[in-house]
Amino acid sequence: MALLTPYSKVPELNTATVLLVENEEELQSKLANAIVQYEKDFNVNVRLARKLPLPVENKETRPRIDLIVFIVNLLSERSLQSVESSLAHLHSDCFLGKVCFLVTDARCGSHTQERLVSVRKLAASHQCPVLCAEHRTAEGVNAAAVRLLNILKVTAGMSPIATTALYLSSLTRCSVTSDLDED
Amino acid sequence: MTPAPSKQTEMDQDSQPSEVAAKAVLLEECEEQFGLLQKLQNEIILADTEANDDQSNEAVNRLIAVTSELEQWQEMEPKLLTTSPDVLLAVGKEELQRLNSQLKMVLSCSQAKLDAQEKILKREQTWQAEKKEALNAVCEKITRLQRENEKSEHSVLQDMKRKINNLKDYHSSLMEMLSDMLAEHFPLPDPQGNGTKKKRAAAYDAEINLISLSEIIERLTNKTLETSHDPYVTTDDTFWPPYTEMLLRNGIATRHPEDCNKIRLENFF
Repeated sequence: MALLTPYSKVPELNTATVLLVENEEELQSKLANAIVQYEKDFNVNVRLARKLPLPVENKETRPRIDLIVFIVNLLSERSLQSVESSLAHLHSDCFLGKVCFLVTDARCGSHTQERLVSVRKLAASHQCPVLCAEHRTAEGVNAAAVRLLNILKVTAGMSPIATTALYLSSLTRCSVTSDLDED
Repeated sequence: MTPAPSKQTEMDQDSQPSEVAAKAVLLEECEEQFGLLQKLQNEIILADTEANDDQSNEAVNRLIAVTSELEQWQEMEPKLLTTSPDVLLAVGKEELQRLNSQLKMVLSCSQAKLDAQEKILKREQTWQAEKKEALNAVCEKITRLQRENEKSEHSVLQDMKRKINNLKDYHSSLMEMLSDMLAEHFPLPDPQGNGTKKKRAAAYDAEINLISLSEIIERLTNKTLETSHDPYVTTDDTFWPPYTEMLLRNGIATRHPEDCNKIRLENFF
């Protein structure tokens, strides 16, 4: 089984690559455009995928991926399921700071709350951060793009002060509070 | 006009070599670092192919990674990027400006948080004050009720005592009035004969030591109260007959059914 490994390729100069994995392909393109627009200091490659494993044909030409973002739409059950199945194709070293979960439609109903809890539990088990984004307005997409860029800068090593991906993920990882703490 | 631009071009020509030199120095350093990176990457690939990932525990992985990173950071000594002052100046300026803007953001953010917390604090304090007032009021009420409870036990006793005393006073006053009235309206017949003829005749028949009506009534009541199985008092000559007749006729006393010389106090309800 071909796993996606984090360090098997040499990084390119002044570039960062982010992989957006989304089952529905709603937010991917919008987010990709926003990310590329925002970043002027260094090159950003945005690669889109529906699920892992990535097709084998591109393996040689694909650059090293610095950040993998799993986009989960809380309104559909299949989104979460496809993310869970994709996680199996990821090398376990990737979870040391190179994986992030992005969640949309977190405010739209009761089912979304349960799915949000399960996404958070998943993220907490792998110790990765969870971002909530609003994909219907342009400002929401821009805000999500800015946040992703911040994380990307750190995981690609562009942050000058000694912040490493591992350190950032330890700081921002999702924690699941017990039922008593929820308000 | 001409001297100024020429001076500028001179200065430009002067700074250009230093710029170029600085750039060359930086490029050299970059090449060095990149060579190091390639070496490390090769080592990693080698290590990856050797030790096939056995899907060990993520937490263990993380622990190993964090500890090794910690060791690296502890060993590493800070060194300047390059010794050329222009580069350092430019880089330093940029860094400081960025830091400045970031710190301003942090300041405003923490200020906003502080204000929010102060509002919450005030609200909680007013809430606490209200609850304290309620608590005080309830405590006062409790102590008042407790005092009343204690007092009521004590006061029942006092009430009883007071009632008993009142009754005793009333009883004594009644007795006094009774004796006064009896003494005034039912005196002993006067042996000197101030009364009517009937009384005079009766007095001559009786002996001198007649007992007063109050004495008769007293004897009757004592006999009834003390020996209630035998409430009969024998009438003898010390009882003045008109008085006994009066008592009998008014229903205050009755005769013994068999013995006409015995009378007793009539039952009253």
